[in-house]
Amino acid sequence: MRNVAIIGCGQTKHASRRRDVNVAEMVADAAWNAMEDAQVTPDEVDSIVDGNMQGFGGIAQAEQWMGEWIGAPGKPVLRIATGGTTGGSVAQAAYYQVASGLSDIALAVAWEKHSDSKEAGATTGLLHVALGNFFHTFNYGMDLKSLVATAAVGAAAGVAVYQARHYMHRSGCRIEHLDMVAAKDRSNAAKNKYAHLQWPNCTPDDIAKTKMIVEPFRYGHICPASDGASAVVFASEDIAKKKTDRPAWIKGLASYSDEENQMMSENSGGTGIIDASEQMACRLSAMKAYEMAGIKDPQKEIDVAEIYQPFPSQELIFAERLGLFDETTAWKATEEGETEIDGRMPLDPSGGTNATNAIGSSAMQRVLEAALQVMGKAEEHQVPKDVHNAVAHGWGGVTNYIVVTVLGDSPRR
Amino acid sequence: MMNRRVAIVGYAQSRHQYDMQQTREDMVFDVAKGALKDAGIGREDVDTVITASTDFLDGRTISNVFLSMAVGAYLKDESKVEEDGAFAALYALMRILSGNHDIALVEGHTQASVFNPHQVSSFTFDPTFDRQIGLLNDVSTAAIQARMYMNGYDVSEEQIAGVSVKNLANAANNPNAQRKMPDITVEEVLSSKLYYDPIRELTISPSSDGACALVLASEEKAKEITDNPVWIEGVGSCQDSYIRDRDLLKIGSLQIAAEKAYKMAGISDPFAELDVLEISEKFAHEELMGYEALSLCREGRGKVLVEEGITEKYGEVPVNPSGGALAADPICATGLIRIVEAAKQIREEADGYQIPDVYKALAHGQFGACAQKNVVFILGGE
Repeated sequence: MRNVAIIGCGQTKHASRRRDVNVAEMVADAAWNAMEDAQVTPDEVDSIVDGNMQGFGGIAQAEQWMGEWIGAPGKPVLRIATGGTTGGSVAQAAYYQVASGLSDIALAVAWEKHSDSKEAGATTGLLHVALGNFFHTFNYGMDLKSLVATAAVGAAAGVAVYQARHYMHRSGCRIEHLDMVAAKDRSNAAKNKYAHLQWPNCTPDDIAKTKMIVEPFRYGHICPASDGASAVVFASEDIAKKKTDRPAWIKGLASYSDEENQMMSENSGGTGIIDASEQMACRLSAMKAYEMAGIKDPQKEIDVAEIYQPFPSQELIFAERLGLFDETTAWKATEEGETEIDGRMPLDPSGGTNATNAIGSSAMQRVLEAALQVMGKAEEHQVPKDVHNAVAHGWGGVTNYIVVTVLGDSPRR
Repeated sequence: MMNRRVAIVGYAQSRHQYDMQQTREDMVFDVAKGALKDAGIGREDVDTVITASTDFLDGRTISNVFLSMAVGAYLKDESKVEEDGAFAALYALMRILSGNHDIALVEGHTQASVFNPHQVSSFTFDPTFDRQIGLLNDVSTAAIQARMYMNGYDVSEEQIAGVSVKNLANAANNPNAQRKMPDITVEEVLSSKLYYDPIRELTISPSSDGACALVLASEEKAKEITDNPVWIEGVGSCQDSYIRDRDLLKIGSLQIAAEKAYKMAGISDPFAELDVLEISEKFAHEELMGYEALSLCREGRGKVLVEEGITEKYGEVPVNPSGGALAADPICATGLIRIVEAAKQIREEADGYQIPDVYKALAHGQFGACAQKNVVFILGGE
């Protein structure tokens, strides 16, 4: 197997409305930053993979008219879109471009410009999915169960509420712990110059004062809808060693789909996953990625994790599913400060998706931030210890898509 | 050279038609199950699944969410490309070449009867400059290209209609094709409804509902699975500049993609070495431009190949014996169907439209206005 490493990362400043740039300019900004960071010219890039949530921003197949902005003409370009996991899926496809031997240098680009569409993209995305299902039932018969299931979804926040409730019920986690997670993420974001919601020294009390939106989520728990883009340059072993002293090696990766979500499963012949926090796909992805990476005990061998957590409960759920904590204990570890930037197992030192959510790009940002930690280039939010292995996670679909990437400071043997 | 040999070991496609009267889930399930059955393996043998669909064409956000169960991707390492299925096959190939996976299931589909795909295509243009007055879509841009090509190389409407006549008559023998016209004439093509001059109903691909799936396997697995593997000997893909900024007189990215694929497969004279070609010609003139980009003839000479019957089923270099995209175009499945049709020719399974003695075949998939993105596969038998 060919070894592949990340040799350069680029991203844009994130904000609710990037009125200073159009979508192509924003994406180009990230792509050129990444190429500059990797010290490669557009001519050296063999192939490009791109993606965002389709329909968001009111555009389709953007790589076709945006190609010139990122140096695409004359090269293989692959477009990947898998919902919330898009960025992670794009990064993994770029990895495969190089791992397959078809390319030596591949550029992965992902973005979202929510402010270009009238809907508040970030949370209505899933509502569209639900509505798609809703209209579907008109054709093939509407039963009460489908109607209730559709009405109950309530977009991304609606799904996350059920998921959080399940987790809290079985783990003993309380809403105070969600406040702690959100406060940690927002104060971490204040150290990340590209992050959207920056709140220096935010405390759980500050979060607790924000308005309750829907039990158990307060306003302070919920991710923003951001405009922003990220880009990563992947390279083969020879090139990585030539271009940089400390590349971030891709040691393991997987992108499993779960069985269908709780609202669909009963109606469409699934096995009925009632507990949306079970997340079998995340367990499977983590197992496969760790096996490839030769990691036997993630609790000891992983030094930092970037988890896709638009809602704080998801940081806890997925940290457990990634094997970073024992079942039902992530909230206790949070209480004890283990997940802080200087803790035993720092989670989302960048602030994560909770602070910055340009959906199509969010899962790639996790890979990018994990790479920065391995390369020692995370500046103010660099964790104060040696990072040998980092794990990046992405979540999407209707709670059923997962991407997991393990990065390390040495190539796979 | 690829660092691992990969073969096509099974495939299935739907009977393409305008309104399939089947849910997307059912349609996708049928081809996925069919491809596994054809390969003689079960879902448990599949390592990875790559699908192809677009949200605009499917009319749903994250359209693959509801298809993971149907295609058998659940609890598997999977992903989705948002373009033609031939690109999904390319991604699946990369996954196997990396050594991380051995067996991949690839699926692509579109139900064009759900949304008018030509209307949807207008969203794929530059939102700042090109969508404001609503004149551009895939058909109107193809019309500009066709007219430029006709003017540039002195090609007549009759010569372009010749492509439709050949392909639609070929389709008559293909049970999966949608538009079968055994007795079609050039006059009929030229009297069909005019969309955008010179594009007519019979020089544009029809709107189809359809799906296609295939199974790829690494050399070791392929030999276990089948006695009749179809090897992927070469592959190339390329994207052109945006329609505003490119030379529409040729399909430049197809030329680059083909050169790469030829080099990988060790083909120096495609005209002599290829036994059959399956091209995604969404418009009749694109097939002529395709001949040129694929180096079957010099620039502007595509018309001669059709006129002299060289690309007929009985010709020296048969192109689209299945009827091609003009016979059925379930958009995200079309390129994948070309791969399957080329593989069928090599496995001698193309009942009724089999070309004798096929050892090497070319399959082509495209996406975007005026074939902006292209992927070429070179397939070979044992």
